[in-house]
Amino acid sequence: MTVFDILVKYQQAFADGLLVTFQMCLIIWSAGLIIGSLLGILAAKWTKFLGIPTRLIAFVLSGMPMLVFLFWLHYPLQSLLGIVVDPFITAVVTISIINIFSVSEVVRIALRDFPNQYIVAAKVCGISSYHTVLYIQLPIILRQTLPSLLMIQVGMLQATLFASLISVNEIFRVAQQINSVIYKPVEIYTALGILFLAICLPMNGLALWLRKQFTRDYSEQ
Amino acid sequence: MLEAKNISKSYENTKVLKDVSLSIERGKICALIGPSGTGKTTLLKILAFLEQPDSGSVTIDGITYKYPLEKSQKVEAPWPKVTVVFQQLFLWPHLTLLQNITLPLSARGLDDNPPRLQELLKLFDMNHFVYRYPNQASIGQRQRAALVRALLLNPEYLLLDEITSSLDIEQTAIILSQLKKLGSQGIGILTITHLLQFAHEAADKVIFMAGGEIVEEGGPNILLTPKHERLSQFLSVLKTVS
Repeated sequence: MTVFDILVKYQQAFADGLLVTFQMCLIIWSAGLIIGSLLGILAAKWTKFLGIPTRLIAFVLSGMPMLVFLFWLHYPLQSLLGIVVDPFITAVVTISIINIFSVSEVVRIALRDFPNQYIVAAKVCGISSYHTVLYIQLPIILRQTLPSLLMIQVGMLQATLFASLISVNEIFRVAQQINSVIYKPVEIYTALGILFLAICLPMNGLALWLRKQFTRDYSEQ
Repeated sequence: MLEAKNISKSYENTKVLKDVSLSIERGKICALIGPSGTGKTTLLKILAFLEQPDSGSVTIDGITYKYPLEKSQKVEAPWPKVTVVFQQLFLWPHLTLLQNITLPLSARGLDDNPPRLQELLKLFDMNHFVYRYPNQASIGQRQRAALVRALLLNPEYLLLDEITSSLDIEQTAIILSQLKKLGSQGIGILTITHLLQFAHEAADKVIFMAGGEIVEEGGPNILLTPKHERLSQFLSVLKTVS
């Protein structure tokens, strides 16, 4: 049985697994990019009230393996609270929290380090605050943060595989289940690897290209 | 008239400006000279309403701001009526030189391709590099772009901080002749410079600052016959270097 045969025979199962993975990604990416960006902006604005707690949480999370965090939220926390949460929700919440704080740190640092001279130049040219944000701050900050944000999102997509360990039927768990039936690990995991490469490599490539492009623009400072 | 009176400014425990007064009249060029670290750029920033002094007042065309400001008082900065070209230039790195020049116009809803733009691009010989990004241009090219950006704003008062520092002799001569022309068109110019010849030939007034205060001021002749010993020393050092 070739990789192609396996993909054809179990296409429905793979499609279902992929759908779950993409659903997770959609929620995790949206939450991370929207809430994380807002949190980063607010943390840069209110450095004491929000900035310090945000940095502290991001620092603690950066030291904790994602898998431990996921398991802790799935077993001990739910046991302590006496509740049972759908593993899909637990996985999404866990990875979203990490994404939110990762994104917020990138945004907060970009805002904190934004070169004030560009705003001064806009001021003395008579450009309004609104247009300064629109034409100068936003494009520069986007150029500065986009590559890092893309890299983080690729990492989050890969992290969804951990959800299989708490019984979420995403693509990796589906692959494991099929393998347990037909025992073709080389073909199945090769197919899975190719699938992830096909999604992640272009994203990583784009991030690298953006980084190269925008580092060039930024070198003037 | 743009006028500063009895300006004092300190950073932490260092007094940068001590009771400095000066005025810039429209149609006149004022050259500000002096050793590094004597508060020239700080004074320029105060005149440009980018910094507030600890005490003193700044008046522009009849409107006076007395510092420290009262709590309810807010400075209505008159940009780009007063504009600045800094030594560091501050060009926006994500835009080409041409976009840097025209953004202040388009952002304010003005025609971003006025006849004067082509005139200035030609005058400063910029057409062959105007589509470059700042990091792809030489310092001299960037300095020209920063100056053209300021000139297109039709300022009434133009404050310049060492803008010819990285230009070759030919470009410096073009800029200096342009400044003279701008002066004759009614723009008040304050330029921080180390070019004594320019200060002597083009400036209506020369101010020498040292240690955060104005040591000597007067017509360009003070550069030939300085009264103060400190100015004599400074001039002799500059002449030796040049």
